[in-house]
Amino acid sequence: MNLWLGFLVGLKEIWANKFRSFLTMSGVILGVASLLSMFSLTAGIAKGVREYMKQIGGLERVSVIGQEIPEDQQGYWEISPGRTVQDAEAIAKSAHLVSYVTPVSSLASAAVQRSGHTMRAEVSGCWPDFVPINKHIIASGRNLTHLDLETGQRVCIVGRMVVEKLWPERPNFDPLGESIRINDRPFRVVGVFDHYEREIDKRRRELGLRGASKLSSGSGKPRSSGSRGSGAFDRKNSAIIIPITTMFWEYKSANVVSKEDQGPQYKLDALTIQVADTDRFDETLDQVRTILMSTHREIEDFTFDTRQEFFDSMEQNMRNTRMSGGVIAGISLIVGGIGITNIMLASITERIREIGVRRAVGAKARDIFVQIVVESAVIGVIGGLLGLVASAGVIQILIAISPEANAPVVEFGDVLISFGSAVIIGTFSGFYPAFKASRLDPIEALRYG
Amino acid sequence: MALIDLRNVTKRYQIGEQEILALNGINLVIEQGEYAAIIGPSGSGKSTLMHLLGCLDTPTTGSMHIDGVDVSRAGSNKLSEMRNQKIGFVFQSFNLLPKLNVLQNVELPMIYSGVSAKERRDRALVAIERVELQNRVKNTPLQLSGGQMQRVAIARALVNRPKIIFADEPTGNLDSKTGANILQLFRELSEQGSTIVIVTHDNKIAAQTPRRIEIADGVIVQDAKNAPALT
Repeated sequence: MNLWLGFLVGLKEIWANKFRSFLTMSGVILGVASLLSMFSLTAGIAKGVREYMKQIGGLERVSVIGQEIPEDQQGYWEISPGRTVQDAEAIAKSAHLVSYVTPVSSLASAAVQRSGHTMRAEVSGCWPDFVPINKHIIASGRNLTHLDLETGQRVCIVGRMVVEKLWPERPNFDPLGESIRINDRPFRVVGVFDHYEREIDKRRRELGLRGASKLSSGSGKPRSSGSRGSGAFDRKNSAIIIPITTMFWEYKSANVVSKEDQGPQYKLDALTIQVADTDRFDETLDQVRTILMSTHREIEDFTFDTRQEFFDSMEQNMRNTRMSGGVIAGISLIVGGIGITNIMLASITERIREIGVRRAVGAKARDIFVQIVVESAVIGVIGGLLGLVASAGVIQILIAISPEANAPVVEFGDVLISFGSAVIIGTFSGFYPAFKASRLDPIEALRYG
Repeated sequence: MALIDLRNVTKRYQIGEQEILALNGINLVIEQGEYAAIIGPSGSGKSTLMHLLGCLDTPTTGSMHIDGVDVSRAGSNKLSEMRNQKIGFVFQSFNLLPKLNVLQNVELPMIYSGVSAKERRDRALVAIERVELQNRVKNTPLQLSGGQMQRVAIARALVNRPKIIFADEPTGNLDSKTGANILQLFRELSEQGSTIVIVTHDNKIAAQTPRRIEIADGVIVQDAKNAPALT
């Protein structure tokens, strides 16, 4: 007997016992639905996390940070100038594996004002490369220029949230050419960053769905980009950047502590690079290290803060979540499989005589085995398909109740895995009943009932 | 060689502690084209004999050849093949599959011999026509009378062109008129060349066949040619 015939016999048998077959399948249906929902839930979380990681600069963004000086260099560490603009200049000049570099000197919480409106924001003095390194997009106006840097222009580029806070009545306004005050010094706005938002918000807005009202200027409400909150977006949206030279001249040339000037503070708060090719990541870091060892006079008072470990552990966590969720959902699928085994056992008991007749007209033991296994596999196949349909509903519910950034995502591979598991479970569930059926003695079977 | 050749066949069963000698030294030869009845009271061993002849079982000792094939020690797959290719069964309780229609029931043996779908259908229709049920092809067994069901079973037994047809109390569940019709059908088949063995406990049936093999307590007590049957 070939498989196709077995399949047809199986279908017929299932159709003949519709209600019982459906009850049998229900375990598989629920199992598949929970497995796929589980997968899409974790895939959604993974997507949210990856989006976040991309927002904060991705793997290619590397910070040069200070570190404890090695013990054998403790005695003469003062000869190193620390992280300076010269480091950035040397890297820009010599490290060809680095695509962008920027020194950063910042005011952690500067008072930013415009005619009566005040906010606190972090102001970063930097180079134009700051924009690409931190994945900023200038929505209108221009980036900082080398002329701004050389001449120490009082110009700034502001984030969308800064505009919302300083021009609350016109949140969509692009204040190019307008003046704002940063720690009481006037600056001219030359550029405005894009409004950063989660992909899902963007999609919503483009489709004109819920959340779109926040953007209509008539409402007068600022776009609250972080109501459900991811810090990465809030922080990015409230960024203000100015030329680093301006930062030094205006704010860092004197440091008065206890009425005594400690002199200029031209050391950097951050030194950030972007690796041109992540496949040559380590090579790039070696190149930068060599350059910095020379500018730091062989004092190794710096190290690299890469996201590699952080990203790796994020990915690891996501894999673990996925795995444990899969195991839990898998258990319900196995329970469904046990249900199939149970019903198939009952069903062959009912059909002992049929099996006897089939044997009498020439069916071999393995023909009977194949028939029962195929029947059970068909239950798995149909249960799997219905499970996919059911999971579509479950996922809609999950989408409605889960945080938007982590909204479930259905991936084709997961659909295949869920469906495949149902078929495999269905097939395996049939093995024991099929084995029992195939072992029946034809004479006994014919005499039965 | 004879179509069926049994030499010194014994069959023992173990039921709990007790050993039962169901067949005790059977010698039997049935030639191609014969029409015979095996008769005996219940417990005589006639059913056991039929199971052996029908390749549902193998003897404990002795040798058994069917159509020249030694099946004395045949395995399960070999027996299945023999049943499929050389033997047709007709049972007292018809043993049709209730979920399949007449055509599908008749096609059943061919499914296990790998006959193509088209040929299955054609051959099944020929067999159904032979038992005159061509207008019942799509009915299920439950929609048929007892006599019709038995005719479907006969069509099923015929469809793989077996060497021999075994009928185990074929009229046992039928009223006498219908039973007579079935026996008439067997007689016609026999006249057309089929080899047929009927197992029965009914002397009236056994009297209608050219050969009468009587069995009691596991041995053949009489093997006689009947006078030509009167119809």
